[in-house]
Amino acid sequence: MTDVFALLGHGFAVAATPINLFFCLVGAICGTLIGVLPGLGPVATISLLLPATYALSPVSAIIMLAGIYYGAQYGGSTTAILVNIPGESTSVVTAIDGYKMAQQGRASEALAIAAIGSFIAGCIGTVVIALLGPPLALMTQQFASPDYFSLMVLGLVSAVVLANGSAFHAIAMIFLGLLLGMVGMDLNTGEARMTFGLVELSDGINFVALVMGLFGVAEVISNLEGASVRIVNQMRIGTIWPSFKALRGAWGAVLRGTALGTLFGILPGGGATIASFSAYALEKRVAKDRSRFGNGAIEGVAGPESANNAAAQTSFVPLLTMGIPTSATMALMVGALTLHGIAPGPMIISRQPDLFWGLIASMFLGNAMLVIINLPMIGIWVRLLAVPYRLLYLAIVVICAIGVYSVNNSSFDVYMTVGFSLLGYVLRKLDAEPAPLLMGFVLGPMVEENFRRSLITSHGDPMIFLQRPISLALLLVSVALLISIMMPAVRQRRVEVFQE
Amino acid sequence: MMRIAAAILSAGMALSATAVSAQEWPSKTIKLVVPYAPGGYTDSVARITARYLEKELGQTVIVDNRAGGGGIVGSDLVAKSPGDGYTLCICSVGAISVAPVAQTTSYDPVKSFKPVSVVSTIPQTVIVNPSLPINTMQDLVAYAKANPGKLSYGSSGAGGLMHYSVQLFDARNGTKMTHVPFKGGSPATAAVVSGEVNLSFTNMTDALPQMEASKVRALAVTSAKRNEFAPQLPTVSETVTPGYSVESWNGVMAPASTPDPIIAKLSDVLKKMAADPEVKKSMAVVGASTVFTTPDEYKAQIAAEVEQWRELLKEIAEKKN
Repeated sequence: MTDVFALLGHGFAVAATPINLFFCLVGAICGTLIGVLPGLGPVATISLLLPATYALSPVSAIIMLAGIYYGAQYGGSTTAILVNIPGESTSVVTAIDGYKMAQQGRASEALAIAAIGSFIAGCIGTVVIALLGPPLALMTQQFASPDYFSLMVLGLVSAVVLANGSAFHAIAMIFLGLLLGMVGMDLNTGEARMTFGLVELSDGINFVALVMGLFGVAEVISNLEGASVRIVNQMRIGTIWPSFKALRGAWGAVLRGTALGTLFGILPGGGATIASFSAYALEKRVAKDRSRFGNGAIEGVAGPESANNAAAQTSFVPLLTMGIPTSATMALMVGALTLHGIAPGPMIISRQPDLFWGLIASMFLGNAMLVIINLPMIGIWVRLLAVPYRLLYLAIVVICAIGVYSVNNSSFDVYMTVGFSLLGYVLRKLDAEPAPLLMGFVLGPMVEENFRRSLITSHGDPMIFLQRPISLALLLVSVALLISIMMPAVRQRRVEVFQE
Repeated sequence: MMRIAAAILSAGMALSATAVSAQEWPSKTIKLVVPYAPGGYTDSVARITARYLEKELGQTVIVDNRAGGGGIVGSDLVAKSPGDGYTLCICSVGAISVAPVAQTTSYDPVKSFKPVSVVSTIPQTVIVNPSLPINTMQDLVAYAKANPGKLSYGSSGAGGLMHYSVQLFDARNGTKMTHVPFKGGSPATAAVVSGEVNLSFTNMTDALPQMEASKVRALAVTSAKRNEFAPQLPTVSETVTPGYSVESWNGVMAPASTPDPIIAKLSDVLKKMAADPEVKKSMAVVGASTVFTTPDEYKAQIAAEVEQWRELLKEIAEKKN
C-alpha cells in the first residue's frame, strides 16, 4: 500500500511540472468545449489534435488527450440538459430528467449537480485505478463472450425501466433500435444487411447522425411548432449552487452512480453506456416516489453523470494494464502512444512508470480543474437560454450538422440526420421516447455479436450461458429485474380484481 | 500537307501540355486519402508519408481520413476522383486485393487505380494461447489434424486478411479450424491472451507487446522472409507450408486517369523516401518495414494477390459442394 502512495507521489511530481499542468489544462478546456458543442465528440477532436502532439513528450501528449476525453464527459451533459441534445451515448439518459429540470427553470441546479457528481466520481474512479488497476484488469479477462451477452441482456432489460410512459411503447422502441442496429456488414459472413447497396451504410448507421436527428433537430422542429417561444429560464443566475436539500437528495445517487460506473467502465465495449443507463434505472428503482422521474428528478441527473465520469476514468485500466483499447477513443490513445514510440501492452506500467503514474495523478488535477472551470461557466450557459429561440435554433442546427459531418467527413451522414429528424418528430407525436431506441441501437449489435460468438466457441451448445458463473449471475439479475418491473402491474390487476 | 502539319503541331502541343502539367505538378495542396480511422496503423503510415511528400514536393499534403466498410469507402472515393495528381490514396491490402474478391466493390483493383509504390509492409504473426501444448508450427498442424474443428482462431471479421490467411493455411495443410470473428484485430488478439480463442494470425504491431510479456506464444511470421523486428521467428513457408506468403502492405495509389509523368515523378520521390533513415526510423516505431516498388512491380503484385484469393475462394466453394 505504501508502495502505491510512493508511486502516486512520483506521479504527482511528474504531473505537476508546469508543462504537464499546462497541457492538462489545455486538454480539460478543449474537452469541455467539444463536449458542449453537440455532435463534436472526443474521437473527432483527438484525431484532429493527434498530429499536433508529435512535438510534445509522450507524457504531456497523453495527459492532454486524456484531459480531452474526460473533459468531454463533463461538457457533454451541458447540451443534454440545456437543449436536449446528448453529445454521446453516455449522456442520453441525462437528457431525460436534466432537460425537464431546465424547462422548470432549474438548469443551473442540474448543471451544478452534474459537475459536482462528475468530480466526485472522477476522483473515486482515479483512486480505484491507482489502487486496484492491475487486479481489476485480470478480472476483465475473466469476461468472455457469453458473459458480455448476459451483461447486454441486463442492459436491455434496464432500458424498459428507463421509459416513463407506457412499457409497451418502450419495448417497441427497443426493438426499433435493435432493427436499426442490424444495418451494416454482418461480422460473421461479411454480407451486407439492409444497406440498399450503399457503401456508406456498410459500417452501420452512424450513432451521432441518429442522436442528432432523433434528439437535437426533432426537438427543434417540435419547439418551432409551438407558436410560443420556449420557456426561458427564470432562475436568478447568481444561484448556481443547488440548495442543500437538493444536494442531500442527490448524494446517494452520486455514490451509487460512481460505483456502477467504476465497475462497468473497465469492461470493453459499451461499458460506460451501460453504466449510465443502469445508474438511471437503479435510481428509479430505489426512489420512494418513482413518478418524479421523467419530470425533473435530480437523482436522474446525478446518478448517470457520476456513472459516466467514473467509467471514463476506469476505461483506461484495460489500455494501461494490458494494452487493449475498449473504445474508439481508447484506440486513438493507442495510436498516440505508438506514434511516440511506446507500444501499449502488459509491460507499460513497469517500463513507463512516469507515464502510468503521471497520467493517474494528472486525472486528479484535471478533475479539479474541470470543476473549477465548469461551475462558474454554468452562469454563462444558463444565460444562453435567454437568447431568442429564433437565433438559438439556427445555431443548434448548424452546429449539429458540423458535428455530424466531422465524425467521418461524410455528407451522407448529414442527409441521414435529416431523415432521422423526421423520424424523431413522428415518434414524438406518437409519445414514444427515443432513449430506449438508442439503448437497443447501441446494445443490439453487441448482443448479436457476443451471442453468435458464444455459440461458435461452444459448438452450438446454448448451455454455455448458464455454465459460466458470471453469465449465470447476470442473467439471474436480469430475470429478477424483469419480474420487479412486472410486479406492480400484476399487483395492480389483483387489486382491481379484488375490487370487483 | 497543312493538315498533317496541323496534326503534328496539335499533337506536339497536346504532348507538351501534359509535360507541362507534370512539370508544374504539384502547384496546389495534395489530398492523401486514408480509408481508415485516425490513430490506426495505416493512418500512422500515411502521416509519415505525407510529411515526407510535403518536404520533397514543396506543397501542403493533407491527410483525409475516410473510414468505412473496411477501407472500401475511401478507396472507392479515390478511384472516382479526377486523375490530376491532387487526390492520392494510402491504400492497403484488405480493400485492394481481398475485398474485391470477397465481396462486390464498385472499383476494380487493377483497372481503377494506377499504383505508384508500396511504402510499408508488415507480416502477420501466428500466436497461440500459452496454455496449449503447441510450441512450433509442426505442433500446430499436428494438433489441428488430430482435432479437426477443435482449434478456434480469432479474426478482424469475415473476409478480412486475418480470416483469409488462416483459410489459405487450412487449404494448404488440409487442416480445419473454427473461425471466430471479432470487430477488429485488437480484440481478436486480446481473445488469444484471455484464451477465448486458441490462436490468431495477428498483425505484428498488435502481437509484439503481448509476445514480450509472454501473454501469447508466437510460432512464426506469415511473410516470405523472416522479419527484422522478430528475427528469431521462422516463416510459415520454411516450417510447414512451402510457398505460403501473406503480408499486409500499405502503398500510394492514384486514380487510373492520372497522367504517367505525375506517376513517374511520385515514384522517384517515394524511392528516395524508402532510403531515408528518418522515415525508416518512424516506420519501425509502428512496426512497419519501409519498402519501395516500381509502379509495374506493384501492379503485378496486386494482380497476383487477387488471383491467389480468387483461387482460394474457388477451392473452398468446390470443397463445400
